[in-house]
Amino acid sequence: MKVSKLPKANVNKFLESLQDFGEVIIPKEKQEQPGVYMFDTMTDPSEVAWEYLRTIIPPKKYLTKPKEVIFKFDSQRGFEEVIEDAEQKRVLFGLHPCDIHGIKILDVVFTHQYTDPYYTRRRNNTVIIGLSCIPDEKCFCKSMHTDYTEDGFDLALSDIGDGYLVAIGTSLGDDLVAERADLFTEVEETDRRKYLDFRKKRNQSFKLDLDIDDLPYILDLEQHSPIWDELGKRCLTCGSCSMVCPTCYCFNVYDELNLDARSGRRIKQWDACLFKDYALVAGGHNFREDRAERVKNRYYHKQFRMVEQYGKPSCVGCGRCINACPAGIDVVEVLTKVREGSYAETESS
Amino acid sequence: MLRLNHHEHKSYTLSENPYKPELARIISVDPMVEDNYLFRFRFEDAQLNQRFQYRPGQFMELSVIGVGESPISISSTPSRPGVIEMCIRRAGRVTNALYRLKPNDLIGLRGPFGNGFPMKKMNGNSLLIVAGGLGMVPLRSALLYALDNRQDYQRIILMYGTRYPDYLLFRSELEALALRSDVECRLIVEKSALSKDTPEWHGRTGLVTDLFDDLQDLDVQKSYALVVGPPIFYRFVLSKCLDLGFSKDRILMSLERRMECGIGKCGHCEIGNKKVCTDGPVFTYWDVMNLPEMI
Amino acid sequence: MSKPKVGIFGLTSCAGDQLVILNCEDQLMELANAVDIRDWEMAKSQNDEECPLDIALVEGSVAQVRDIETVKKIRERSKILVALGTCAVWGGIPAMKNDVPREVMLEEVYGNDVRFIESKAAQPLSSFVKVDFNLPGCPIEKEEFLQMMASFLHGDIPEILNFSVCSECKMKENVCQIVYKNQVCCGPLTRAGCGARCPSHNVPCTGCHGPIEEVHYDSHIKMFQLKGIKPEEIVHKMQVYAAPAWMPEKLMEEMQHEGE
Repeated sequence: MKVSKLPKANVNKFLESLQDFGEVIIPKEKQEQPGVYMFDTMTDPSEVAWEYLRTIIPPKKYLTKPKEVIFKFDSQRGFEEVIEDAEQKRVLFGLHPCDIHGIKILDVVFTHQYTDPYYTRRRNNTVIIGLSCIPDEKCFCKSMHTDYTEDGFDLALSDIGDGYLVAIGTSLGDDLVAERADLFTEVEETDRRKYLDFRKKRNQSFKLDLDIDDLPYILDLEQHSPIWDELGKRCLTCGSCSMVCPTCYCFNVYDELNLDARSGRRIKQWDACLFKDYALVAGGHNFREDRAERVKNRYYHKQFRMVEQYGKPSCVGCGRCINACPAGIDVVEVLTKVREGSYAETESS
Repeated sequence: MLRLNHHEHKSYTLSENPYKPELARIISVDPMVEDNYLFRFRFEDAQLNQRFQYRPGQFMELSVIGVGESPISISSTPSRPGVIEMCIRRAGRVTNALYRLKPNDLIGLRGPFGNGFPMKKMNGNSLLIVAGGLGMVPLRSALLYALDNRQDYQRIILMYGTRYPDYLLFRSELEALALRSDVECRLIVEKSALSKDTPEWHGRTGLVTDLFDDLQDLDVQKSYALVVGPPIFYRFVLSKCLDLGFSKDRILMSLERRMECGIGKCGHCEIGNKKVCTDGPVFTYWDVMNLPEMI
Repeated sequence: MSKPKVGIFGLTSCAGDQLVILNCEDQLMELANAVDIRDWEMAKSQNDEECPLDIALVEGSVAQVRDIETVKKIRERSKILVALGTCAVWGGIPAMKNDVPREVMLEEVYGNDVRFIESKAAQPLSSFVKVDFNLPGCPIEKEEFLQMMASFLHGDIPEILNFSVCSECKMKENVCQIVYKNQVCCGPLTRAGCGARCPSHNVPCTGCHGPIEEVHYDSHIKMFQLKGIKPEEIVHKMQVYAAPAWMPEKLMEEMQHEGE
């Protein structure tokens, strides 16, 4: 992979220059709560929270919006396509590898078999610039094999002390660098060494570990584990975990009608499989009425169904759901328990 | 100024919008049985109406504009193009609103979606079509298609059961079929009359499983069973099929779920490791056995 | 098609929900054109108090004896009766202290020789009449109200969000009041629709929309207990708006269960 170096002294200038391409989205610290971050529009490069770990909502909010109008309708004229922000060019700056993997998974979901024009139109206008990070006690991307990525970004910045080693992932990324060649320098041998040291340090910083190698098989065997019932009793089914998940893509579609009772808007809004009505069909039958079944379904979707459907789990180990769950449910703890239960049974038999 | 505006760095194809419903007009509304009306639709765009193709067993997303969308099986056959027929049960918000509409009113349709029955793959085989109650809705498409391509199939057997004679969908059409020699059409009802007012039933009474007793000389190695009905129906009919010696791969079922987007994105119809909307709604019995919470 | 005849009424209430209707300034003319408002004491001087109505919008709880007759009469003349606002749907704030005898409260507030109000324990409309649709909120949300009216005008039964405030709060990307502030936040129990208004202003949800259809008392008690919050605090908070719906019996029951 082609690499370059961006000295820290030049980084703000580079961020400013990105505004020529489009809206620049950066991680910012929430004013009301230090240590809590969100992606937001950059007005000044000084706002970048370089040391952030995870934002409340992942950058998916710029690609599949929490709530968006997808059509205007009229009972006589039919449906007219509306794609909000279709032409808005954006730079998503400062994405950690987990979030880049999250977008890679969404790319697959939203383009597999049928193309979702709402997602892809915005995706096509989005530049992704990655940023390295040091994990905390809730990060488990290393376990999910999403701690590094070789693709899915245009540029990726790794902190090597006095500057950033910049991996160039696409032709567009290369052009972004070429455009401001004055800000970049050659990568020296010492920079490479510093990068390797950084990787070593990072690899050793993970405190959380989840063994996923045979997880789909274990889950298949543990369909009736009592853990799912226990979990059902703890879960509030509030949907927070789904909202903050970089790969949760479920949505609901409904019509908003004007008072003329003939025109209005068709809305697409984030949904969660934990909600009671999620699998409810017309006529009143609910295919997943039981709370425990819904909670279990979320785990099986991430770690089992996605592996069968797309070849890899759809958890990227970002730790957001652990952070967001008011009830304190910890995905790593749950899956570790399931595994232990599974192995315990095998051993005792 | 950056020259990036001309960049084509991503390869996601910008295709037509699969969420966009096309306007269709209601041609006719015919009550079939209580709360089950047969609607006929035609796309407003004549060209679209002409080139519209689908497979038996597929479904469409029907919009009552201003109320929302609902997945509906197609009951007509692609071998008789020009009009789309759907037998629609009044069940939820969308269908309730649809029942208020009249011929000539406009609705939205998008699709077709789902895999449908593998009509080509079944060429040269006999078809054992077993329907319970509303299960006739998607199976009628397969039945008519097979009859219109009669030379492609060996025996065509329909076994259809409902609780009362009044609940038989497409009753007059099916009774006419019973007179044909190239199709074995057998209807059965659990109870001969819903009330004293209903005309007498001269056909068989009993359960649809009783009809299996009359089934003779069916070469199950060269047959497919197409089975659609309510959950209790599956429990008994599937075991009858297995008793006959059907391979689980040759028993096909159509499942109902909340297929909201129809294109495998919204998540609502996912079960086990399948998306009912794109992997189904037609599944083999073997698929279904391997999926928890499938029926 | 003739315009539906509408009546708008207030039982014991602050009239805040009716005020929301009046505050739909951009849509008010359109609304007035779409429906025939026959009876609305708060906003009109000439009202037909007897005519049959297609839609009756009733605000307030049944907290005075005379309210019982009023709501029954409205029911008799209406095809569709809507409980408008949390008081009408759940009993609301007036039901907060239903366990205290009314005489005691009257004396406390008005002194001992005032007898002009025949007060009773506050109850939702559904305790007395059939309610066709519930639109909770204290006050109701303008957008939800307009959507409801549009649905009625189209001939449909409206739909209402059936998930909790948490998801709207997350979509707003608010700092979680439970996780970060250790507050008693009613968000996970409360029906969405407000766009997480209070948490967006850094205030825990007070539960003014009342409970979602599926309230998980067990997991909530466990959650707050783990955070060292006393059950009384939780009860106190959740009793404010929709006491008859979930408090205190159900919650107490769960707490005892947990304590075992």
